[in-house]
Amino acid sequence: MAPSRGPAATPRTLHKTLANHKGPVHVARYAKGTAKYVLSGGQDRTVKLWNPELGTEIKSYAAHGYEVLSLTVAHDNSRFASCGGDRQVFLWDVVTGQTIRRIPGHMGKIFTVEFNEDASVLASGSYDSTVRLWDLKSQNRQPIQVLDEARDAVQALHVGGSYIVTGSVDGHVRTYDLRMGELRTDFLGHPVTAIVPSQDNQTYLATTLDAHIRLMDMSTGKMLNDFQGHTSTSYRIRSCFGHGESTVVCGDENGSVWAWDLVDAAPLQPNPPPKVHERVITWIEQHPVEAGELITASADGTVKVWRTPS
Amino acid sequence: MTSRLKRKLNDLGVDTASSKANESFCLIGTPLPPLEKSKDTGEFVPLWKQDVRDEKGRKRLHGAFTGGFSAGYFNSVGSKEGWTPATFVSSRSERAKKKAARPEDFMDEEDLAELRESRKLVDEHEEMDFGGTAAEKRKQAGEADEQDPITAALAASLAPAPTDSVGARILKKMGWRVGQGIGPRLTYAQRKAQDAGIMDPSKEVEGDEEDLEEAKKHTYPRRDTPVLIARRKDNFHGLGYSPGLGLNESVGHGAGGDMGRSRPQISAGFGLGALNDADEDDIDVYDGGIGPSARSRVAYDNLLGEDDHHISIGSRNSTRLGARGPVSVCAVIPICFSSNRHAFDKRVPPGITQTFNDGTPVLKGFVLSDKPVSEDRWFPLPDVPPGWQPNSKRVWEQGKNKENEGATADRMSGPRQPAQSHAAWKASQLSADERGTMLGEAPLPAKTRSIFEFLSQKDRDRLQAFRATRSEGAPQPSPAARPPSPGPPPPAPGGVQIPRLHPSVAKAALTGFQPFTADPLKQSRYTTFLAFQADASSEGLGFGPLPGQSTEEFNKELQDYAKSATVFKPLSGAMADRFRTGAVVELGPNVVEGLHQPTSYTDSTDPDSETKEEKEEDPKLSAVRMGMFGRLTRETVPWQPARLLCKRFGVKEPEVDTTAQAGAASSDFEFATTEAQAKRDAGVPAGPAPAMITAGTEGGDAVVEEPKNKGPRNLATVGLGEDETQGTDTLTYQRPAMDVFKAIFASDDEDSDDEGEGEEENESTPPLALPDVLMPPPPNPVVTPAPPPNAPAEKIDLATFKPTFVPRSERVSGKDKASEKSKEKKRDKEKKRPKAALMSFDVEDDGSMPSFDPTSTHKEKKHRDGERKKKRRKEKQDDEEDDSMWVEKPAPEVVKSLPVAAVPVDGNEGGVDGTGMDAAGPQRGRKRAIDFM
Repeated sequence: MAPSRGPAATPRTLHKTLANHKGPVHVARYAKGTAKYVLSGGQDRTVKLWNPELGTEIKSYAAHGYEVLSLTVAHDNSRFASCGGDRQVFLWDVVTGQTIRRIPGHMGKIFTVEFNEDASVLASGSYDSTVRLWDLKSQNRQPIQVLDEARDAVQALHVGGSYIVTGSVDGHVRTYDLRMGELRTDFLGHPVTAIVPSQDNQTYLATTLDAHIRLMDMSTGKMLNDFQGHTSTSYRIRSCFGHGESTVVCGDENGSVWAWDLVDAAPLQPNPPPKVHERVITWIEQHPVEAGELITASADGTVKVWRTPS
Repeated sequence: MTSRLKRKLNDLGVDTASSKANESFCLIGTPLPPLEKSKDTGEFVPLWKQDVRDEKGRKRLHGAFTGGFSAGYFNSVGSKEGWTPATFVSSRSERAKKKAARPEDFMDEEDLAELRESRKLVDEHEEMDFGGTAAEKRKQAGEADEQDPITAALAASLAPAPTDSVGARILKKMGWRVGQGIGPRLTYAQRKAQDAGIMDPSKEVEGDEEDLEEAKKHTYPRRDTPVLIARRKDNFHGLGYSPGLGLNESVGHGAGGDMGRSRPQISAGFGLGALNDADEDDIDVYDGGIGPSARSRVAYDNLLGEDDHHISIGSRNSTRLGARGPVSVCAVIPICFSSNRHAFDKRVPPGITQTFNDGTPVLKGFVLSDKPVSEDRWFPLPDVPPGWQPNSKRVWEQGKNKENEGATADRMSGPRQPAQSHAAWKASQLSADERGTMLGEAPLPAKTRSIFEFLSQKDRDRLQAFRATRSEGAPQPSPAARPPSPGPPPPAPGGVQIPRLHPSVAKAALTGFQPFTADPLKQSRYTTFLAFQADASSEGLGFGPLPGQSTEEFNKELQDYAKSATVFKPLSGAMADRFRTGAVVELGPNVVEGLHQPTSYTDSTDPDSETKEEKEEDPKLSAVRMGMFGRLTRETVPWQPARLLCKRFGVKEPEVDTTAQAGAASSDFEFATTEAQAKRDAGVPAGPAPAMITAGTEGGDAVVEEPKNKGPRNLATVGLGEDETQGTDTLTYQRPAMDVFKAIFASDDEDSDDEGEGEEENESTPPLALPDVLMPPPPNPVVTPAPPPNAPAEKIDLATFKPTFVPRSERVSGKDKASEKSKEKKRDKEKKRPKAALMSFDVEDDGSMPSFDPTSTHKEKKHRDGERKKKRRKEKQDDEEDDSMWVEKPAPEVVKSLPVAAVPVDGNEGGVDGTGMDAAGPQRGRKRAIDFM
């Protein structure tokens, strides 16, 4: 679809349902690169690798003792890291299905984990209100650095090329700029559940528990756009950019996928969107390459692959 | 095995005769401890464990039987001094002297020890048998008459030789014979005396006179003393009690009275045969106590030993004494011991034997009681008043009151004192020190020192000032409202006591954790209480006891509130830094809790809300509510990423301003000034020089001159309270960093390098107002500065040297566009110059600065130096157009008019550096090699 004619249509046709998880699915992420695979982690303490094209489960990674709350895939798809209730970050080898490393150090459950661009540093944000940066190139058990500015649990994390953005329950989005050597704190006033920066690193989408998704200017802290209409009061919900960053999509607590136009912040049709999941949509992720594909993970135990009918 | 058990076992079919059935499982006594500790000497020890030692524990082999042979000096022939052959000595002459050799002469130590061991002569455990052998005893006992002497002799010869005990054998060896006494022999007279001493008169030696004479010639063995044999006590009688005796006889009384009654009184009517003994049945049991010889004790003698339980002392269902009913054993017999014989005698006239009402005589030594045994009396239960409720608490309260009453009653006699709490009572007591002073004792040398004595005078002054300001700010409680120092006021008995809290504590507790949120009523009372306590001017608590709440309960509630207020007040001081609390306590105007926020940043980001963090929150919240994200909600602080993190991210480690600020504390010369700093300085009017310049040059004057500096805090003044002038002398007077001197006095080659570095530093901390500058500057080639060819730096007295800076803003880029302006300012500066108090360049130049250009005046040189510095400054601050702040040291016209020639320097071809070089090149005062090329 030509982007000049308006925002790309949100994929709304169910392609596959990945339903092997027992219990809520907390996170579902695309692999890097061409993103042919999907990793999902859920309450059933497993991480599962899916082929979204065929809808089949390829592998199940079971070593967690508690729920899996976040996942991140390394840039070369050879490893991924998962974290959750067991206060350790598990670093997995994708092929063998074994944990390469288990990184203890957090005092509470770890909500979010992210690699940096070349997977040499792993950042993990935890209930203990710290973000710990782990060096994966050495076997050092101590974190490189602990970002303990947050006053409450860190729920969202993004590691960019030269900055780290954290979203915390204390309502702040903190941007640690490595290059500038400064910490920019944006106060959003409500617990931040997801931070998704745009490709140009100029803006970020902040999902907060007051049922707002804000497009914030990273440099000035100004709010560029405010997307609302969905329901988000108590669950961690992620919103992300649609393909080409022309839209913003978000699953809400009722199980419907909302989409807004990025520029005028108007909800796209259908409005209100139909309910596609039984329960809260915990994660939504747009396919990084394909325009017409996104996945949603829900507390109803399914991951659904949506496509635009071609 | 009892017969019953046997029968039972037989019934069960168990053979009672078998050894198993007779096996005893009883263990009697305590088993001996295991023999683990006693070493088994015969136990096998492997060869390598065997260890040969002599008696003294030495590992020298000695003796053939103890494992080895040691001879001579360490098993060598000879002695310590060596081996000397023995000389032959004939023993012929000595032969007479030689004694007969005993075996011991040839024995060594071990043999002797063995011999000694074998000389164990006697068995110590044998019994002494003074009485001789059994046969002798028998002989003594007169058994001999049963046997004729022949048989006796035969038996004696056939029987094994009698074994005497050791003692008997010793005695026999010493001449003692069986039947004699022990001791030296006696003369006849002595023996007579001994015989007289012995009470047995039958053994008196009788004899004639001639016998006596004969007897006097000899000595005699002593008489044998019979061994006193103490009978074993195998009954349960009391000591000294002989079973047959009555009470009277046993104590020696009544013996005379009973003298005539040696025989038991036999029942009348039946005669006893001469051969018949008086049997128990024949005794007249009905022999009443008439006459002194009424009763014998025979019938009871046996009873006493065997049937103690027959004596029943008192019984509940007893009838009255004297009622001679058919009740069998019913008499009350109080015991009257013979110890109080008089009482006994008083009651019972001797000779009168009492009987029970069934006719049984009363035991000797007992009397019948006059009074009947008192029955247990039963009282009716008290009537429970209607509507009475059991209340255990009431009992306690009563007890409390009683205690108090008792205490007050005790004090009634003395001066009346109000009831005190324990603490008050304790405080009212004299302390040991007070007693000591009253007694005139010398005080102990170790005096308790206040913590303030450890503080310096400066700190004490600060504390004093702080306290003064606090007491001004805080509402001063009226002296009447202030609690008396020794303790809480004496409570009015039964009245409401309101515990006093310090207003600050109450205020803090109001803002702190609220402990009674679960109970809204209690919470409201709590807050009211705190508000009352916090506001000393308010009178009246604002609430009274709840309906149904006693005064004591109410007092307790208030005390609970006071206690929780002290407990739940928020943390203060250093602890508050470590914990984040929801509400922030205001402890005073001067103490600002939380991490120190460098002023420059609060200045640059939130110029209006730099004072309090908690004040910042509210605008932020309201801004969020209004959707005004941006300036109000953004907060930027410097953050130092770890070096490794930067490496991993492939980012050059930023020069974080916190370190720059920290550096400013140590050195006032700040090369890499942040824009914030510059902005702040820009706010300073052009009149006085900027702080970072004047601080070094003018010392304390700078601070006095700049009242604006007082507002924002910076790290240099942290810990000095509000008074910034305090300690400035020590803070400001510091030797500047070495690169300062290099920058000024080093050669121009190095200068240009420094410029490059400065550039780099500067760009790594870009201005905050332009955050879109995200890309780092191209890394500058690092050029090691060549040693200055004619660096005069070593000639400078670094300790006293105080350089001044002139920014470059006027020169490099702004030279053409703002030359007029700068000229004006420079002229101003020139006018001001003589006024500057400590322009030490003049001094230094006069004294130690070598002059390289003989033609140039001091002034010109000064200006040139200033120009160079100005240039550098300009490069740093090229983003901003703050010309107003760089006002020092204008270049003279002469310098200005010099032609500008671009002189590229090797290794410094970078664009920025190049331009800097271009501008700086011609104005250098000192000659370089390049100038001669």
